[in-house]
Amino acid sequence: MGKTDRLSERQLTVLLFVSLLSPMIRILPTAAVVFAGRAAWLSPPVALAMAGVPLALTRAARRRANPGEGLAELIIRGLGKVGGRIFCAAAALWLTFYGGFIARSAAERLLATVYPNGGPGIFIAVMLGVALITGSGLTKNLARTAEVLMPVLVAVIAVVLFSAAPDVETVNLLPVTLRDGPGILFGALPIFNVLTAFEYFLFLSGHVEQNGAKKPRRFPWMPTLAAVALAVTFFTLGTLGEALSVSMENAFFMLIRNIRIFGVVERVESVVVAIWIVTDFIFLGAVIMVVSEIWRSVTGVKRRQAFVPPTAALSGAAAFLITGGAFELQRWSDTLIPAINMSFTVILIPGALLITMLRKK
Amino acid sequence: MRRAAIPALAGALAVLLTACSPGLTIFSNYRSLENLELVRTVTADTAREGVHVTICSTAGEKSDARMYGRVGPSIGVALGELIHLPLGREAILSHTENLLIGEAYVKEGLAQCLDYMERFSEMRLDTGILIVRGGTAKDLVEGLTGGETPAPDAIAGLGRIAARIGRGYFFTCRQIAASLAENGCALAMSVRGEKADKLFEDRGELDIEPAGFAVLRPGEDPVFLSDEETWGALMLLGLFRSRNVDLPVGDTVLTVSVDKAGASYTPRFDGQGLAGVDIALTAQANVICMEGDGDLKDPAYREKAEKALEEALRQAAGAALDRSRVLQVDFLDLAGIVRRKAPLKFEGVADKWGEIFPELPLTVTVKAELTRTFDIVDPPAVSKGEEAKSPWEKLTDSLRDS
Amino acid sequence: MIKNKQPEVSQEAPVTAAAMEAVFSDCYDFESRELNIGGNPGNTVRLCFIDGLVSGSDVAEQVIRPLTDPGRFGANVRGEQAAAMLLGGSVYVYTSKCRRKLGEAVEDLLNGFCALIFDSQGEAVTFEVKSQQRRSVDAPKEEKVVKGAKDAFVETLKVNTTLVRRKLRNPHLKIREFTLGERARSAVALVYIDGFTNPDLVAEAGRRISAIRAEGVLTSAVIEENIVDNYRSPFPQTISTERSDKFCLNILEGRVGILADGLPLGFLAPGTFSQFMKVPEDHSGHFLVASALTILRYLSAVLTLLAPAFYVAVAMYHQEMIPTRLMQSMIESRSSVPFPTAAEVILMLLAFELLQEAGIRLPSPIGETVSIIGALIVGQSAVEARVVSPVVVVVIALAGIAGYTMPNQDMGSALRLCRFLLVLAAIFLGMFGVATGCAILVYHLAGLESYGVPYMSPFAGSEGRHLSRALLRRSMAVKRDREPELHTGRGGEAKL
Repeated sequence: MGKTDRLSERQLTVLLFVSLLSPMIRILPTAAVVFAGRAAWLSPPVALAMAGVPLALTRAARRRANPGEGLAELIIRGLGKVGGRIFCAAAALWLTFYGGFIARSAAERLLATVYPNGGPGIFIAVMLGVALITGSGLTKNLARTAEVLMPVLVAVIAVVLFSAAPDVETVNLLPVTLRDGPGILFGALPIFNVLTAFEYFLFLSGHVEQNGAKKPRRFPWMPTLAAVALAVTFFTLGTLGEALSVSMENAFFMLIRNIRIFGVVERVESVVVAIWIVTDFIFLGAVIMVVSEIWRSVTGVKRRQAFVPPTAALSGAAAFLITGGAFELQRWSDTLIPAINMSFTVILIPGALLITMLRKK
Repeated sequence: MRRAAIPALAGALAVLLTACSPGLTIFSNYRSLENLELVRTVTADTAREGVHVTICSTAGEKSDARMYGRVGPSIGVALGELIHLPLGREAILSHTENLLIGEAYVKEGLAQCLDYMERFSEMRLDTGILIVRGGTAKDLVEGLTGGETPAPDAIAGLGRIAARIGRGYFFTCRQIAASLAENGCALAMSVRGEKADKLFEDRGELDIEPAGFAVLRPGEDPVFLSDEETWGALMLLGLFRSRNVDLPVGDTVLTVSVDKAGASYTPRFDGQGLAGVDIALTAQANVICMEGDGDLKDPAYREKAEKALEEALRQAAGAALDRSRVLQVDFLDLAGIVRRKAPLKFEGVADKWGEIFPELPLTVTVKAELTRTFDIVDPPAVSKGEEAKSPWEKLTDSLRDS
Repeated sequence: MIKNKQPEVSQEAPVTAAAMEAVFSDCYDFESRELNIGGNPGNTVRLCFIDGLVSGSDVAEQVIRPLTDPGRFGANVRGEQAAAMLLGGSVYVYTSKCRRKLGEAVEDLLNGFCALIFDSQGEAVTFEVKSQQRRSVDAPKEEKVVKGAKDAFVETLKVNTTLVRRKLRNPHLKIREFTLGERARSAVALVYIDGFTNPDLVAEAGRRISAIRAEGVLTSAVIEENIVDNYRSPFPQTISTERSDKFCLNILEGRVGILADGLPLGFLAPGTFSQFMKVPEDHSGHFLVASALTILRYLSAVLTLLAPAFYVAVAMYHQEMIPTRLMQSMIESRSSVPFPTAAEVILMLLAFELLQEAGIRLPSPIGETVSIIGALIVGQSAVEARVVSPVVVVVIALAGIAGYTMPNQDMGSALRLCRFLLVLAAIFLGMFGVATGCAILVYHLAGLESYGVPYMSPFAGSEGRHLSRALLRRSMAVKRDREPELHTGRGGEAKL
């Protein structure tokens, strides 16, 4: 009964679901309302339909992977040893920077909502410390942590939205006409951007147990995540209205600012924001795990854990590099981050997988 | 790795515990509970140097409400200075229930107040905003202070019952800000101070009374609606809860409690665009008091009463609609209603709404119903000194008469 | 320096009286006497035993009497013939063994046997005549029984295995014995149902027990800390119980059980978090009531872990969460307390732990009095003297009481330890610290395994299946499945 680092397909999907809750809540509903106005609540289903394409592509590509092979090995096999390694190294560097962005934006969210006096340093330090612990551990441990916490997070969202329901005004959501179509489509792009981040987690797919005998139990993470996005957009937009939703940085957490729980708790945003930081812990831990897994594949070093401390340090440096407070962060969040992310998830990774599939033929 | 983990963790803990670098810790967010004063009401009035802000706070359960004031160039600066109170106490704004703005300050300060409340995470977005009419907000709160009921409780009490007596509705910061952003105007509850009945010594100098809605527009003085117009607006906006109304029915006066009243809208379009809006008001009421000898068992009497009620409702709704058009301020959000009902057709008139609205034909039809009399159909008998007839005698008399 | 006077004797040496006396030299309770077989002084045999371990009356009646009876043993029955007669039942003892190695004979003596040593053959016949002086089977002291069996384990291994056998009348029930301890030679038994219990689990448990390197098995930690996957974790990974019904219930669910001579406890593996939230009474009461109580225990676990930390975070950093009236009351009550909130909570937690320890260590009558006085002093007087505020007393008391609902004391202790750490995290980082602490705790628990079974199953590692098993109990009228994560076999039914 030795410690092997194998996890099931379901565990990997739960891990990526919990991880992607973090950026999803960060961008919604503002990112969708900017384009779609009061019809923004229809953008998540559209994004779900769009994300079906890269999902199908990656599934087809993974069928060509050998047992124990993750996305890095597949790409290296497909693009060649040199090209594949350069590609994977670029992805690793991008994700290292992205890890810093995750830490920085989580810290900023805490400062904006709950801890107005103070700096981001302590939060970034703690987050990276926790990511160092989780990133150094087994993949299945992080996945199990996500499994345990997922019901808690979903329950928190459900309670929050249920409490906000009486303040929802249909005037803020309707009517929706065909003219809102283009807006809904553009509003779906940021959500699509988050959904396609699942491709990064495929670098860990080498740890997935290939159990052909048993029928694997699937977790429909993408429809569930889209449903969460729809609910959050619907209730936040319905309560705050279009104008306020657009002007707020963290509209969902502004919504929470007004929620009382049966007169027992006056304001719940401290608890909700603190619970939500767990998604950032898991996301950051997973990103560091992914990066170290990529470097292991690229360099051939057997121990993945050797790459964790330098990755965490570089992510920390990136987090502190994003200085200037909320304004600088918002600029990164609106422009560079989604652009680079989409380049990888929509063009580069699917392109590499297509080449791999064609080459195999 | 394992051997390095312990010293690494110890080092991390040392950094955490040392906590000497400003900005590296969250200790700056620490507040000592016993030194806090809960601010429950904030007032803002115009001042020569900017704004005069006062806070009404309580320290403990048994402490009296205290007021502290500061003048500053803006509400943010003034409140920022007010946080630090005498005797080492600290004001906490997270429990602020209401912001009272003097009517003279609305024009220059409303937008600033709303912006401050949206940005400052300590304040709730569902803090009520009240416009103080006929005086300053500070004077009103000072006048409420001194009685057994602290001023914030008195104001909160009005908030709980204003809609139930049909005299107003406490709009929150979120609602006002959203309405201003979407429609360019908003309604807010207005209040005034009335001299208190000093029969009881446990009351302050003033009582707080509802004073109808105030129509707010950015950069303009508020315009106040009358009580009837406020009632009409409540019904048309779907915010109505209940209200007692006296109805003259023949030579009797019937007091009814209207407990349901709502409006449905039907826009009419013709070849040239929006031809008008039909507003159907429906209401239900219960009889709570009768003066005179009315016969509620008589359908004709009831029909008269219902007609009287319909007329009262029509007048109220009509008054609100007329005021809205006279002011040329769509505070009843008719534009939004038409847009929701016929979005595509509305697109054609949206740009011209400002011109169309003041002349738009609005037809108000009212349907009211008396639903119950609370178990007393006949008014209580008043003896004239003769022996009262028994129910059997009354029945035989009525059969003989018919 | 004490010189070892004992001459070297080999385990493999033939059994002789001299060798036996040499082994047990300087042992005042070692008895050795010569007996005349059949009453013939010329035909002797040496009887050896350890006084106290054997029953004197059994030795006299069942061994000495028939042996010296000329009617039973002829005067000239010697050596091999005598040994054969002894082994054949001439002596009225139900267990007899023939020992040709000194080590085996010595071990028998230490296990309550007496030995008849035939010097000429270099062998001995040993008889089990254990003393019946033992603690009687009584109700469990540490685990309250409301509606179940009241026969708890005792210190004698044989009695414990008997209790198990009485409940599990199954020929496939195996009780494999191990002898552990370099110097104590403690007997440890591994209990499982052959054909039903996962053979990999049995093999792994056996391997871990055999690998125990200790002087002896005199405390439960010797077993527990040696057979668990992660001994550094304060969370229990084996179920320990003094209730025989709970022990058998878990065997029937597919676990392996371990009993040790000298310990009135049974250990069960693997142990998962959800198992520590269950009590055997859940199977005695109505399934709906049992389910509600199980959910209550989970809530209690959360309460005992988080209540003090939550209070500290809210009172220090997040006062906006407190309703207005309660806030006013708290400000009022704290206005004359000299200590900051953090110090108040830590002092109260420490006081609570001190009271608890004092209550355990002191003899019962004094312990109860101290607990009452402590509660009065801490609870009542400290509040009246305004040393602490009433809210803190309520929070700490609530957390403490919630902790006492934990069915397993080890789990309760682990949660108490984590409670302190979370309070520290709350002091320094507020609600963020509490969330961080909880995340690390959950990660630690999620990373634990017990014999290959994830510690947090069925919440994690079970593919989202069987979640209801952790929280709810199905009616016994519905067919009850075994624990799926234990991978039990289909055999092991109580028939051959």
